[in-house]
Order: sequence, then C-alpha cells, then structure tokens
Amino acid sequence: MALADAAPRRFSPFALLPARKRRAPARPREDIAREALERLSGKGPSTGPLGMVGKILVTVSIALVGGIGSAYLAVDRGRLFNAVTLGQWTAYPSAGTPDADPYSAATLARTGQVPLGAGEGLVFFGDTDSQGNALTGACDYRITGETPPARLWTLTATDTSGRLIANSAGRTSLDSRALLRNTDGSFSVAVSRYARPGNWLPLGEAGRVVFVLRLYDTPLTTGTGLADLSMPEIIRGDCR
Amino acid sequence: MIRQWLASLWIWVLGGIMLAAVIHLLAVMSVPDFTTDDAFSRAARFGPDARFNVLPDVKPGAEPLPMLDPHMAHATCRFSLDRGPVRMDAEIPSTFWSFSLFDQRGETTYSFNDRTSGEGTLAMLVLTPAQLSILRENPPADLERLIVIETPHERTVALLRAFVPDAAHAKPIREALAAAKCVQNPLTADAGI
Repeated sequence: MALADAAPRRFSPFALLPARKRRAPARPREDIAREALERLSGKGPSTGPLGMVGKILVTVSIALVGGIGSAYLAVDRGRLFNAVTLGQWTAYPSAGTPDADPYSAATLARTGQVPLGAGEGLVFFGDTDSQGNALTGACDYRITGETPPARLWTLTATDTSGRLIANSAGRTSLDSRALLRNTDGSFSVAVSRYARPGNWLPLGEAGRVVFVLRLYDTPLTTGTGLADLSMPEIIRGDCR
Repeated sequence: MIRQWLASLWIWVLGGIMLAAVIHLLAVMSVPDFTTDDAFSRAARFGPDARFNVLPDVKPGAEPLPMLDPHMAHATCRFSLDRGPVRMDAEIPSTFWSFSLFDQRGETTYSFNDRTSGEGTLAMLVLTPAQLSILRENPPADLERLIVIETPHERTVALLRAFVPDAAHAKPIREALAAAKCVQNPLTADAGI
C-alpha cells in the first residue's frame, strides 16, 4: 500500500487530493505493487493517446497564456529599466536609443512616444514627494531647490500615462526663462489647483500625478555623469 | 486513471512554463517591429510624407504624439530614403530649438540642438551609404555648410521642436516651422542646391 502511493505523493501536489477510490477496489496488494513498479519504470499501461493529447494541450496552453500574457503585462505597465534616480526624480537616459533594453524598446513602440535624443535633453519624472508618498491631484505641492545645469527647462504635470491634465488656468507648463528666482538662483514652484502667488504650476483634477521636468541642452546627456546632482525637492502641502 | 494522469503531469507543466519563457522573450522582442500605433505610423497623420508638417498645439486631450512638451511647437517630416536622399533646411526664430531623427522602431538615430548645430540654422542632408558614394562624385555647392547624416535606416522621421516662450512668439515660430524645407531628391528636384 505504501509503495502504491509513493509515486504520486512524491511528484505531484494532486496526490494530496482526497483519494476517493482508495477503499473501493478490493484487489490483491501484489497487483497494486506491480502496477506501481511498472508505472515508475515507464513500462506500465499508459493512459492512451487521449491522455497524451491532454498533456500536450496543458503544456501548450500554459506556454501561450503564460508567455503572451506576461509579455503583454511587462510591455503594457512595466517600468523601464536602466533608470537613474536622483532624489524623487527618475530619468531613463537610454530610452529611445539603440542601447535600450528590449522591454523599454517595446514599451516605447507601443505607446508611440518620442523621447528626447541625447543632443536635445533629458526628461526626469517625479512621482513621489519627499516623504515617499505617491503624488495625487488632491494635494498642493511645492517644488523647491535647483536643477542641474541646462540651457532651458520646462515643468509639466501629467497623469501616470503621461497625458496632460486639463485645468481651469489653461496652462499646463512652466519654463525656466519665466521663472522667479531667489538671489542664490534657487526657486520655489507652487503646484496647486488654485492660483498661487509667485511661480505657479496649475494642476487639474486627477488621481495620481507625475511631474515631468525636461532639461534641454544639458551636459548630463553628454557624459558628465548623473551623480551628485542637486534636483529640486517635491514637498507636499495641504491636501483636500 | 485520472490520478495517474495528474501525477505524471508535472513534467509537462514544467515544460509549459519553460516554453512560456521563450514565447515571452520572442513576443517582447518582436513588439517594436509589429506595432501599428508607433510614432512612425502616427507621424503619417500630420500630412504628406517628405515635407515638414506642423503639429497641432500640445493640449490636454489633444496631444498629437504622446509625451510631447506643451511648451514647444513641433513639426515632423516623414520620409523613406529608398526614394532618394533628403535635404532639410530651417531657420527658427526661437531661443531654443532641437532636432532629432528617429527610425521605424522609435529609436533616435541622431539629435542636436540650435547651439550644437553650428550656425544656428538647420541645414542637413540625410542619405544611405550607397547614396553617399554617388554624392561624392557630384557634391552640392554648399556641402561644407551641410550636416551630412549617413544612415542605414531608410524609413525615418525628422522631428523639430521649437521653444515657444509665450503666446506672442507662437505665430512667428509656427510660421518658421511651416516654412521649414524637407525635400526629397534635392539635386534633381531643383530645390536650390
């Protein structure tokens, strides 16, 4: 009896299922033992062509559903690899270049976006505040500090798919040329649904929000490296 | 019978998972070559090929291409080099503009901005290696001025981005983008070379 059950129990979690037929056949123990031995050695009566077809079906369906499904998920909502993180900001310098990994290339092709080339600039995405909370359209934010060297930069708020958010001010971005700065060159931008004095980036009604900081003509893309750079801090204000 | 079948199924499940990994990799690798909604296909919607088409303003809910900067005005020129080399000229009255070429896979093959362009204007010739050897025998008069890009990617899109500081500057910048030239076969088309 122990020998008969050994094979399924060792190899398959299905052997843990309640064995309904265990008590039904009153067969001699020798027969059961012989059958088990034959099964183990692969000589026993097979389950026939139908069993084989079933197994192939199982294999093929696992391969197709698992392979295509996981590929779809990875491309559809996967984060790009080769990210560079500075404070709350993340950039993907290799996105859109021949050096990009296959997942980034697939995501890029599927979404149809055209990232900035190395000679144009570099895009940083910020999706958490300084406390590590996800950014939401229900809160006010303050973006303060300084940016890495760049001839021009623009700041935009988008949803998590990178789409602009409509707002009542009719303006979706802020640029470094029109910015008010402190005497030491640092700045502070208020991000809110409602008009704010000083530098104001209007925010629309949205759930999750991503801030997009585009640095144009920056030495970052031409080899000075991305370490030890000061990026502005995203500080959460009041929420409603 | 059923239990026996189930008991020997694990090796087939394992095989299915390994096959799934292979299919996963093949599917991901083939996406850039098979998508129909990539930037290259979308660029065809803005107007005819082989000329610069000014894109509509980047506004919420009406973005011509995803992830474009709303602070910029854009123009694209889509072309296929198998019909001949392409020459591009533009003079943009903006304090910042940048230019990039991307191929059918959406990969940027070449990019620069107004400061790295040399004279502050766009003057570029894009051709295949075969066309370059023909050009060497019969060069255009102002070859020294031109940025010559040799690319094996025949189907290419050129994207011009020009910074619009405020609404008052939008009109001249968009007019300059509309006047930007993108000419196929410049030597035979008598485009002033």
